[in-house]
Amino acid sequence: MSANKIRLPTFDTVLNTFAMWFLAFMWALPLLYAIWTAFHPAAYETNFVWNAPLTLDNFKSAWAAAPFARYFFNTVLLVTMILVCQFVLCTLAAFAFARFEFPGRGILFTLVLLQLLVMPDILIVENYKTIRALDLVDTIVAIGLPYIASGFGIFLLRQTFMSVPKELDEAARVEGTSFLGILWKVYIPLAKPTYLAYGLVSVSHHWNNFLWPLIITNSVETRPVTVGLSVFSAIDAGLEWSVINAATLMTSGPLLIAFLLFQRQFVQSFMRAGIR
Amino acid sequence: MKPLGTLRTGIASMALMMGMASTAFAVDLEFYFPVAVGGKAADTIQALTDEYVAANSGVNIDAVYAGSYGDTVTKALTASRGGKPPQLSVILSVDMFTLIDEEVIMPFDELIETDDDKAWLESFYPAFMENSQTGGKTYGIPFQRSTPVLYWNKEAFAEAGLDPDTPPATWEETIEMGKKLVKKDSDGNVTRWGVRIPSSGFPYWLFQGLTTQNDVILANSDGNETYFDDPKVAEALQYLVDLSTKHEVMAPGIIEWGATPKAFFEGQTAMMWTSTGNLTNVRENAPFDFGVGLLPGNKRRGAPTGGGNFYIFAESSDEQKKAAFDFVKWITQPAQAAKWTIATGYVAPGPATWETEEMKAYTADFAPALVARDQLEFAVAELSTYENQRVTAVFNDALAAAITGAKSVEEALAEAQEKADAILKDYR
Repeated sequence: MSANKIRLPTFDTVLNTFAMWFLAFMWALPLLYAIWTAFHPAAYETNFVWNAPLTLDNFKSAWAAAPFARYFFNTVLLVTMILVCQFVLCTLAAFAFARFEFPGRGILFTLVLLQLLVMPDILIVENYKTIRALDLVDTIVAIGLPYIASGFGIFLLRQTFMSVPKELDEAARVEGTSFLGILWKVYIPLAKPTYLAYGLVSVSHHWNNFLWPLIITNSVETRPVTVGLSVFSAIDAGLEWSVINAATLMTSGPLLIAFLLFQRQFVQSFMRAGIR
Repeated sequence: MKPLGTLRTGIASMALMMGMASTAFAVDLEFYFPVAVGGKAADTIQALTDEYVAANSGVNIDAVYAGSYGDTVTKALTASRGGKPPQLSVILSVDMFTLIDEEVIMPFDELIETDDDKAWLESFYPAFMENSQTGGKTYGIPFQRSTPVLYWNKEAFAEAGLDPDTPPATWEETIEMGKKLVKKDSDGNVTRWGVRIPSSGFPYWLFQGLTTQNDVILANSDGNETYFDDPKVAEALQYLVDLSTKHEVMAPGIIEWGATPKAFFEGQTAMMWTSTGNLTNVRENAPFDFGVGLLPGNKRRGAPTGGGNFYIFAESSDEQKKAAFDFVKWITQPAQAAKWTIATGYVAPGPATWETEEMKAYTADFAPALVARDQLEFAVAELSTYENQRVTAVFNDALAAAITGAKSVEEALAEAQEKADAILKDYR
């Protein structure tokens, strides 16, 4: 940068930068508070003293309050299962909606879109009945099953597939590639950012889901971390913020770390996939 | 799958026949319980259930942690509508009318057989039974019940020149002592308030302490009539509002429920009203000498009760109902109830429990636990009606509007009564 290019920042830039820092700070504040309380004894929950003693006791007592090791295993299993099934199902459905002409396509696609308008919580009783008819109550599969045919996933992938240039598709067909081959070699590689973005949304949603897993499961062997976390909301006995925040950091930690590691990819794919 | 299914049914019916032949057929029970006082409560329930199962070979009880009180009632109702209800659940006593309305629970009276059973039904404090009976039938058995009490900071009392062993006994004394207890820094900012009556989340509960003290009840025992616009209710609400605005002994605006014990420990308030469920918490964390007393009275002493009851679900087999009844009877016996009370701080539901050796040792060591029992004499049923969530929400909104000054006391209450009437008119 040469000397004559240095200019005083304009008022606009200053304002923008300030606003950005301010918003980022406001956004991070709860997280910073959680970190502060989690690593200090309970006496420092509302006293911010720089030389307050650090401790890991809060994590110890949080970890001991519920079988978190098993809950973590269940959650990982659950989100992986949901993600894999969603990818397979949504890819095939989206491909059909994007590139095939068949009778009733418009109506079927409208039905899929309608799913976006229905709050999942309304369907809890109906879902429960279905799961019970399948004799799957209190299994990890039961937690994931209602979410696998995701209307959002189908819609998102269809839009992405529609934007794939027809020429690529036709070129592959001329080569004699089968439909599934085209999907695998042309569409899926081009939709990678969408998969990444959708994957993040799906994983974080199911990692955080609470009510449905609580209702459909009964045992430690099937329950996810959020159910373990709920033990700490002890309204009758006063809240222990330090332990609650230690548990919160612990349960959301894997997601936070994954996000920080893959931050660049996520941000880029969100820009490309158009989810904001 | 079909042949396998048939085979399974075959085996099951064979097992059934064999079981009946040998009379050792096991009964399976599903039991939902909420936790509102931290992880220890869940362990205690599990331990008690295991103890019962070990002693009764014909019964298996699956104790299922079901989240908060709100989550538990949602889970129980969803499972019931989905065709797989639990046989037994602990749910808020105030949800009784909702559960009756949904036709999912059954009265205990149908399971009473012997004189011993009858005596057991009579063995609970009447204050707790008010929320458990309607139309002459008993639908709930008190188990994890609580009541609000007054906690005060003895050091702060001494510092303000008050007798550290005498808490306020009346509304007037609360104001007088409160004024002495308020401490301001050199800029005139309050560093310590006189009293803290939390008003977030479910303000109606503590407010019900005030209305009871003013000798008025908020709803009838049939759960279809409320008295929100009674002048005595307005008087009680005016007192609550005046504590902050006129007398300036309490922080203005909505006061957080969850943060209240912390504020007490930090010395930001000299007195607080909160649940007996906090006894263990305060005992362990208060860095000063504290006292626990009855809520101050006005026309009379008074407080609501709160917490959860046992309910038996109607859609169970006769064996299951019998086994569930037997379990409830066992777990509320003095020996078990004492363990539960000591572990959690909930109020033991019957006088006999307080006479056990364990409880005597516990209260000798920690006398404040007795305050809750002594207050039961003055306690009334927690506000509970049909469509309970909607009615209390209407009332909570009115209280919040009056506390924040958005509406006048009379206006807010009249509006709440009107809305409650509209909701409840189908049940009259």
